[in-house]
Amino acid sequence: MTKAIADSTENLHPERLKEPRLPWRDWVLLPMLSLLTLCLILVLSERIAGRTYYSTGNVGRYCMFDDPLMGYRGIPNSVCTEKNPETPLIEYRFNSCGDRAGMECGPKPVGVYRIVLAGSSTAMGYEVSVDRSFAAKLPGELSTLTRRKIEIYNEGLVKGSPQSISLPFNQLPASRPDLILWVLTPLDISSGLRQAIDRKPPNAPGIEAISHLYPERLPERLRAHIREMMASGSISDEIFRLWKSHFISSVTEHFLYESQSLYLKSFLKSSEATFLRVEPDTEWKERLRESDIVARDVEERAQSAGLPWAAVLVPDRAQAAMISMGEWPAGYDPYKLDNELRSIIVSHGGTYIDILPGFRNIPNPEQYYYPVDGHPDAGGHRIIADLLAKALTSGAIPELKAVAQPQAILQKGK
Amino acid sequence: MDSASFQFVLFGLAAAIVSNFSRSRVWRSIVLFVVSIVFLGLLSHSPIAFLPLLGFLALGYGALVLLQRGRSRLMAWSILGVILVYIWLKKYTFLPEGAFLHYPYFTLGLSYIFFRVLHLLIGTGDRDEKQRIGLGAYLLYTLNFTTLLSGPIQRYDEFARDQFAAEPIVLGPRTIGLQVERIIRGFFKVSVLAMLFQAFQEDALVQISEPLPLPLKLWAAFRVAVLYPLFLYSNFSGYIDIVIALARLMRVRLPENFDRPFSASSFIDFWNRWHITLSTWLKTYVYNPLLLALMRRISWRRLEPFLGVFCFFVTFFLVGVWHGRTSEFMIFGVLQGGGVAANKLWQLGMARGIGRKSYKVLAKNPIYIAFGRGLTFSWFAFTLFWFWGDWKRIDQVFAALSIAQWLVVWLAIWLCATTVLALWEALRGALLSIKTAAGPVLTSRYVRVVYASALGLAAFVMTVLLNQPAPDIVYKAF
Repeated sequence: MTKAIADSTENLHPERLKEPRLPWRDWVLLPMLSLLTLCLILVLSERIAGRTYYSTGNVGRYCMFDDPLMGYRGIPNSVCTEKNPETPLIEYRFNSCGDRAGMECGPKPVGVYRIVLAGSSTAMGYEVSVDRSFAAKLPGELSTLTRRKIEIYNEGLVKGSPQSISLPFNQLPASRPDLILWVLTPLDISSGLRQAIDRKPPNAPGIEAISHLYPERLPERLRAHIREMMASGSISDEIFRLWKSHFISSVTEHFLYESQSLYLKSFLKSSEATFLRVEPDTEWKERLRESDIVARDVEERAQSAGLPWAAVLVPDRAQAAMISMGEWPAGYDPYKLDNELRSIIVSHGGTYIDILPGFRNIPNPEQYYYPVDGHPDAGGHRIIADLLAKALTSGAIPELKAVAQPQAILQKGK
Repeated sequence: MDSASFQFVLFGLAAAIVSNFSRSRVWRSIVLFVVSIVFLGLLSHSPIAFLPLLGFLALGYGALVLLQRGRSRLMAWSILGVILVYIWLKKYTFLPEGAFLHYPYFTLGLSYIFFRVLHLLIGTGDRDEKQRIGLGAYLLYTLNFTTLLSGPIQRYDEFARDQFAAEPIVLGPRTIGLQVERIIRGFFKVSVLAMLFQAFQEDALVQISEPLPLPLKLWAAFRVAVLYPLFLYSNFSGYIDIVIALARLMRVRLPENFDRPFSASSFIDFWNRWHITLSTWLKTYVYNPLLLALMRRISWRRLEPFLGVFCFFVTFFLVGVWHGRTSEFMIFGVLQGGGVAANKLWQLGMARGIGRKSYKVLAKNPIYIAFGRGLTFSWFAFTLFWFWGDWKRIDQVFAALSIAQWLVVWLAIWLCATTVLALWEALRGALLSIKTAAGPVLTSRYVRVVYASALGLAAFVMTVLLNQPAPDIVYKAF
């Protein structure tokens, strides 16, 4: 029967007839056309993306330097502007102590309760203007809630954690703080606190070296990548790096990562999500051990200076989204790092300020972070300021406990 | 191996290359058999997991042999037996839990094997001249890796015509080029379009339950309803594009399963264009026999048109129910059957109300067609709530807005779909009207190379950037 079906219908199909020959020119023309299409799309999209989402300036290159003793510092009395593809043009103004504090350094005014912020780029207010950073918004909110004059002196610096935790202690005679608030992010922990404290090896590329690695002009950039590829021997890695070094990569990622679902799925599969995993790997355990050592060091310094200190974890974009959704895939826990840090900080005598639960009530908090870059934007800083103000005045720091407020003042504060 | 992954495409291409080492039917059949068994092995590593599937195949073959030996009286019993075993293996929830096998076994593709087995039994039982199908041909037909997981449901005679032909159908550079282009198109649909539509719908699902202002909630509800049909189409038709092209590279032509379904101007027309092989199968084996049987028994002529409506309802209710084992799919079936039956009633009513001739003129009116298209899309989009959601999720989604607000959303979807689909049709028509002597420019191999390159690049970029597999093929689960 099978053969009968096959044979009886054999002549009915036009496709059984010989296929017309493909002209010889098409054997060359069609592959060339395909190649040309790919090149045109890549070059044109890169040009358009570069013009629309351009970047300019480099605060790390022009306004910061690598202090052999204290790590990366702002160059005193310098001003830089920087724009990354996702951000507006931002001004970075460093005072005479090299801090982006929004004020001059020096002793605190009489009657003022001064909090010194230490931390990395998030604490510094990287990628937001200084007046829109949480460090600038917090004093007003705290003053309203506590009816005290409160001032925040910001010593946070890009790449500054944990070196910048040393700054308040080194600058004690000048700043005379009442509280040191250490602002931590998951990235600070995962990039290795202790490693950073021990300083990088002399041959590791610094910010300046990195900024020179990929030139701005497309042909030069391609040449640099080909050189790298020849040197490293890994084509796939270099293709990925080549792709990631282009504007079109950032722009595509930016639009894709605006989707909470796509972003979370992608992030959770990446190596950056280790801190969210319930079962940590040995490297992460090492990172936590380093955090423990640094926290002990901070406690010793704080004790000898007679200063109270506190630490707060600012969640990253994926963590904030997961907390807000209230559900996450099995094997992950957005509160895990929060709990681990609390036990480390408290065991060494510090106060842990917990703002993560506050993200439960914020719909889609991931929209307040730059999708590719990952830093909070101005909206994100406003949320952090609100949550920090509530947490700091909840009684965790007795001097900052909120006093009962008439409703009108509370409304005004909001 | 994911069913529309890069690995699957490579696997299929490798199979096609090996299959073309010889044009002999024996060689091509051996390759197809080995590749299909390897494919099954890649899907599950436990031999015990295949036992129920083997049992089902053995039952089907046993019944087939009996029918081939002229025991036509057994046809009804053998069909009933196959249906009952299928329901049992698929664990339909109306059966008691204790009746099921309580160990993890392989059911992927069982639904499609079920259709193929039934087709063989009915085809063999109905024919006066009994067809002879050997065990090898039976296994090749039922386990063919290109149609195993999600169809398309190919008729046996069509399969045998190409697979067992002494002189296989031609496979030249033009055909290869077209199939490669189709694979890229399918891969783009699955790994770019489907992934984006699914992610955006998931975002909307999260947002609809959040304390947001009303306009944002309405917008979220709009996206929840609209994005799923687009996802499902990209997901399923993309996979079908890939397997049709792979089979063609192995010199077998599979039937088309989609024909621009969102261009359908009515719900009946929609089901002629969506999952075509399933609806054709059910029309052949359920609608036609049922209608004939009813017409033989009921001789009241005025009732005749309504018998068609009833048969439409039953057929498309079964289409819906086939998709899943739970009560949600019963509702999905009622809505599919109800939609098709209402559509048929509308046609009858209009033909009676304004006259057959006037109705024909009206049905050709572009504005009427555009609104019909929009209504078809919006109805399908809402029926899919019972396709993608369980009762808890459906309750959650509907509770987010009042009935009046949902009506506003539905109206908005109807109007938007009407406008967007009409613009799309106009654009497509205009582009296809640009012609040379060889045909429309848009379908020339030069333009195809350009857009296949662009789609391939987009699919590659998405795969690299997102570092995650494309969503699995939804119909694999049925």
